[in-house]
Amino acid sequence: MTVTFQLNGDRCRFHDDPMTPLLDVLRQEKFLTGAKAVCREGFCGACTVHVDGEPVMSCLKPVGLVSGCSVTTIEGLSSGDQTLHPLQAAFEAADVVQCGMCFPGMVMSLSAFVRDNPEATRPEIKTAMSGNICRCTGYERIIDAVADHLEAQKSGRQAKETAHV
Amino acid sequence: MSETLSETAPELSATVMDLPRRDARDKLRGRTRYTVDRVRPDMLHAVLLRSNVPAGRIVKLDVEAARNAPGVRAIATGHDAPGLYGIGIADHPLLAIDTVRYHGEPIIAIAAETEAEARAALALVELEIEPLAPVLTMAEALAKNARLVHEGWRDYEVLTEGGAREGNIAWEARTTRGDVDAAFARPDVKIVETTIRVGRQSHAPFEPRTAIGSWENGRAHIETSTQVPWTVRNVTGRVLQLPPGRVRVTVPPVGGGFGLKFDATIEPITALLARMTGRTVVIENTRQEEMATCLCRENAEILIRSAVTADGEIAGREAVVLMDCGAYGGEQIFLSTMTAHTLGGNYRVGAMRLVSRAVYTNTPPNGAFRACNGVYNTFALERHTDEICQALGFDPLAFRKKNVLGDGDLGATGQVFEGDVLGPMLERMDGLRAVTGTAEDKADGRLYGRATTVGTWFVFVGPSAATINMNADGSATLVTSGVEIGSGTMMQSLPQIVAGQLGLTPDQVVVREADTDSAGLDVGVGGGRTTVSIGAASIGAADEVRNKLFGFASELLQTRPEELELVGGRVAIKGRPGSGIAISTVVQHAQTVSGPITGTGSFTGKPVPSMSGCAFGHMIEALEIPVFVVHEAEVAVDPDTGHVEVLAYRVVQDVGRALNRRAIMGQIQGGVVQGLGYALHEAVTISVDGRIREDGFETYRLPLAGDVVPVVADLYEGAPSSGPLGTKGAGEVPILGVAAAIGCAVANATGKQVRELPLTPPRVLGLLKGRETAPEFPHIAASFEANTLA
Amino acid sequence: MDMREGPERIFDSVATVAEAVDARAAGAAVLAGGTWIMRDPRRGVALPERIVALSKIAELQRVDVLDDRVSIGAAVTHAGLAQAINGLAGLEGLAAAATGAANPAIRRVATVGGNLCTLDFAAADLVPALLALDAQVELMVADGGRILPISTFLAERAVLLKTALLTRVIVPRAATASAHVRLPLRKAGDYPVAIVSVARASGGAIRVAVGSVEPVARRWTALEDELSGKAVTPEETQALAEKTNDFMGRDGIEAEGWYRREVLPALVRRAFAALQKGGAA
Ligand SMILES: Cc1cc2nc3c(=O)[nH]c(=O)nc-3n(C[C@H](O)[C@H](O)[C@H](O)COP(=O)(O)OP(=O)(O)OC[C@H]3O[C@@H](n4cnc5c(N)ncnc54)[C@H](O)[C@@H]3O)c2cc1C
Ligand code: FES
Ligand code: FES
Repeated sequence: MTVTFQLNGDRCRFHDDPMTPLLDVLRQEKFLTGAKAVCREGFCGACTVHVDGEPVMSCLKPVGLVSGCSVTTIEGLSSGDQTLHPLQAAFEAADVVQCGMCFPGMVMSLSAFVRDNPEATRPEIKTAMSGNICRCTGYERIIDAVADHLEAQKSGRQAKETAHV
Repeated sequence: MSETLSETAPELSATVMDLPRRDARDKLRGRTRYTVDRVRPDMLHAVLLRSNVPAGRIVKLDVEAARNAPGVRAIATGHDAPGLYGIGIADHPLLAIDTVRYHGEPIIAIAAETEAEARAALALVELEIEPLAPVLTMAEALAKNARLVHEGWRDYEVLTEGGAREGNIAWEARTTRGDVDAAFARPDVKIVETTIRVGRQSHAPFEPRTAIGSWENGRAHIETSTQVPWTVRNVTGRVLQLPPGRVRVTVPPVGGGFGLKFDATIEPITALLARMTGRTVVIENTRQEEMATCLCRENAEILIRSAVTADGEIAGREAVVLMDCGAYGGEQIFLSTMTAHTLGGNYRVGAMRLVSRAVYTNTPPNGAFRACNGVYNTFALERHTDEICQALGFDPLAFRKKNVLGDGDLGATGQVFEGDVLGPMLERMDGLRAVTGTAEDKADGRLYGRATTVGTWFVFVGPSAATINMNADGSATLVTSGVEIGSGTMMQSLPQIVAGQLGLTPDQVVVREADTDSAGLDVGVGGGRTTVSIGAASIGAADEVRNKLFGFASELLQTRPEELELVGGRVAIKGRPGSGIAISTVVQHAQTVSGPITGTGSFTGKPVPSMSGCAFGHMIEALEIPVFVVHEAEVAVDPDTGHVEVLAYRVVQDVGRALNRRAIMGQIQGGVVQGLGYALHEAVTISVDGRIREDGFETYRLPLAGDVVPVVADLYEGAPSSGPLGTKGAGEVPILGVAAAIGCAVANATGKQVRELPLTPPRVLGLLKGRETAPEFPHIAASFEANTLA
Repeated sequence: MDMREGPERIFDSVATVAEAVDARAAGAAVLAGGTWIMRDPRRGVALPERIVALSKIAELQRVDVLDDRVSIGAAVTHAGLAQAINGLAGLEGLAAAATGAANPAIRRVATVGGNLCTLDFAAADLVPALLALDAQVELMVADGGRILPISTFLAERAVLLKTALLTRVIVPRAATASAHVRLPLRKAGDYPVAIVSVARASGGAIRVAVGSVEPVARRWTALEDELSGKAVTPEETQALAEKTNDFMGRDGIEAEGWYRREVLPALVRRAFAALQKGGAA
């Protein structure tokens, strides 16, 4: 069977078993190895990609179900020499990365979270991370970086709003 | 030998900075290619046929049908790699030959064009195993007339002499200092005994063990996710019966190790299949395989007994530590040595004797895990200390302050400790608590407990080598066998150290990926040794480079070398920054005059010897650099469900010297959380048929963001260290004291004796409801001597 | 390049319930969010050779909130359900089940139908919540549909689901308040080891359902009988739960049976405390 979908803005066709996990299509067919296969059970989030703008676990997503959808991977979030996504920049500046295996998924998951929850509190950030495991960092500094990023966005917005008055 | 710095060595301040990591950006963008990301379509995929019984004899193995299956290119069996390997004793075949000793043991490997074809071919192999009654526990292994896991144990080649061994006891290490019998017989002592049982811990690094082997110009080249390229090289040589020089190992960025990748496992198989096929062969463990054959932190059983006087003097102590090595000796043989330093650490003790035994069972082999052996021995020692305090009516904190090791005190092997470190660290913890306050109000009606515990670790230094090549643009390339496993040592600390030595910025120091062809022997990344050993070797290499630069510059500048320094990318006249000449100019000049400027350095620790007659069967003399921790946990226990919530966590850690505080803080947060996993969530259990039951993330519960707290840490600087610039490894120890602090805090909260880990809700509820009883060890004899082979 | 051997898998992504029912009749297995099925290979179970996907059937993605009932399409996700019933009086327990299960990325994908139709899944969160609310399910087969109580569905689903498609769940709005207390071993992200769902009807009648303790969720009728007609404090419900605890806990890797059974009375107390405060938990 042939499945057609948008992949990082380009049309992508896949001819094979529609029950192939999207993750395997990305890694093995498209050599987009940013999404990681860690647990393949929906628990760790290392394979997170956006399907129509929403973060989902690509290990449990049969490619047949993304037919006609738009898929964005970590490679598509800020490609080429484009600047980093602000959250990536925040993670870099705060020196939170260790082995790094969880981070592509962490970024895909949390970039959507901060988009949708600009007012999130620290406990809400933690709850949002229940599907993103990190074995190295112990999380707290990631959470600090997300909270700081939200704070910075808020003051940026406020500054803009006052400027408009 | 270069641990003494030359006169002209730059000041420490040139090295101390909180730099971000150079590898972070690519990792955040998903561009970093770990080994697991390097699979190409032209590679063969290999899969392993594994035993589905814990013990048995292979009575039939017919691979003909599999050999003819579509896509199959080669099949390897144990006979293709007959050499045995191991640490201490060569007891481990690459692929089982005739006998299988654990559930999951690889028997054959099939390489095919695709993984699906390889798996399909696996199903065609005719394998019959005649099962044997498995020996699944240490109690069974040590029982009278127990079946031997290794019938031919006497015939194995002994790689390190000195350990006693017999039957299912793979190795025994012993320590005796002073007259323990006399101490226990004193009329003024009370004897307190504690039994402790702990389970395994699975590393669960996010990148599973993966290796890519090829055969190039008559040599094996293995690209692999390992912490120990040199071990992989040597083991591969051994099992393939090749001179190790015919094996080259290179290491891409490693997606987490934590000790799991401290041994060779699948790598030699890829080399073997590459030789058979002439193709590049990849083996990638599935997560299930990774966890079912994880070289876990070993399960252990401990009996510890002390004779303590009414005024709190520890007159004597003895302990038996049983470490389950699983089906093959592996790391546990080496780690049996550690008991002397971990269980034998922390406190001043009159007389002491300790025995630790690595015991064979028909279970998956265990291995090394961050602060190996120390984590549970510290738990045992600290719980025992609290039980002593309870039995004799001492305040636990005051008792610790009185008895912790100080300047001139003797360790278990007679090694003399230098400096008062733990005492002042305990005071610092009081100070830290005064600043943060306690979190009792957050207990919200649940049972509240707090505990302060101490821990002792030693950095095993071992040999390392480094080369620095100066480039014409003034940058430096650092070549070592160090591997970046995620802790930042190679990406952060070493460039910082080298840059500090050469007056460069860290981004001017290029770090060469580990390659056994280009750098000298290194025993691997672990135990907190990288910064220390490779750091010292790098400083040695930088010394040589500096001297050469000064030599040329002094001619060019007509200044004596003693008056020069390296600063801001220049060879400058001391005290006059901006003077002198650019390093790049000197390097270019040298290239035309006498060739490129390079420097090499090598390092190995100087063992502090044990007191004679103290240590038996120890693989290493003593561990050179002690590292201490003080941990404090506050917990709330839900009396209805047994859930333990960590309310606050504080650490005072002896770091020697902090070169990058932010990076150390990151290691502490990460290490403590791994320790919380071990203490509270991460259970590995063995099924009746010898399998690891928790073989995926659904059943093996790693801590999630919601389960952790921000760790508040105070870095204690200035303790004696022979490490470069006064550093000590900071990445290993953060996990050391966690189970101890949590275990003692839960005991304080519940008023129950905590003797087993992990403290999952069912176990804690069981404690509260009286369902949990103290572990009893019929296989540990009452008299100490009866537990030794000597 | 297709390296696969053998016949190609049949994968129908249909647009209507009728087509889906036809595909079922032709032997197709249902694929909803896939969060369960996709893990079949890991369990040693081969993926079905013939599949019908529900993701393009608009009708199954709807939640209709009416005065007397809420109708939930089988392909509504946990996240979609939580959003649709957020703030509806009486359905707090169901909303809590939909927001407490799994993790955000799974909730965005995993469906109500999938949660109810997965056999051998004792820890399903929605099941006890729907039992407590006295929900009904609508099944479709080639010759028509039928609506049956969820308890009947649970008892017979192994047989029914050989041919049927679950199309809707109908939740009567009879409850004034409901609560769902789940006990994962970690704070979040785990299957609950025990679940207590309770609902109070406008007349005061109480329904209690327990999930994850036994292989299939069920009502706690012995406790319901004790509670009938009484005004009790949460602490008293705990005592009654201790007295009427007739559950046989199942052993699992994560917890043994005794533990699941033992924690129930405390979970009952918590559920009733939540109920007093107006539901959820
Ligand atoms: C990481 C993780 C955590 C989880 N945690 C929880 C948790 O805490 N609580 C919880 O309750 N669950 C949990 N789950 C399980 C999850 O809820 C179920 O996997 C999910 O509800 C299944 O829905 P699905 O749409 O993905 O089903 P699918 O995988 O598509 O299908 C599951 C089964 O139901 C059948 N089926 C689906 N829809 C229909 C239908 N309309 N008619 C007939 N048959 C149908 C399918 O044929 C299949 O047999 C978790 C899962 C994961 C991966
Ligand atoms: S790999 Fe997909 S969630 Fe872990
Ligand atoms: S940084 Fe290693 S798993 Fe998160």
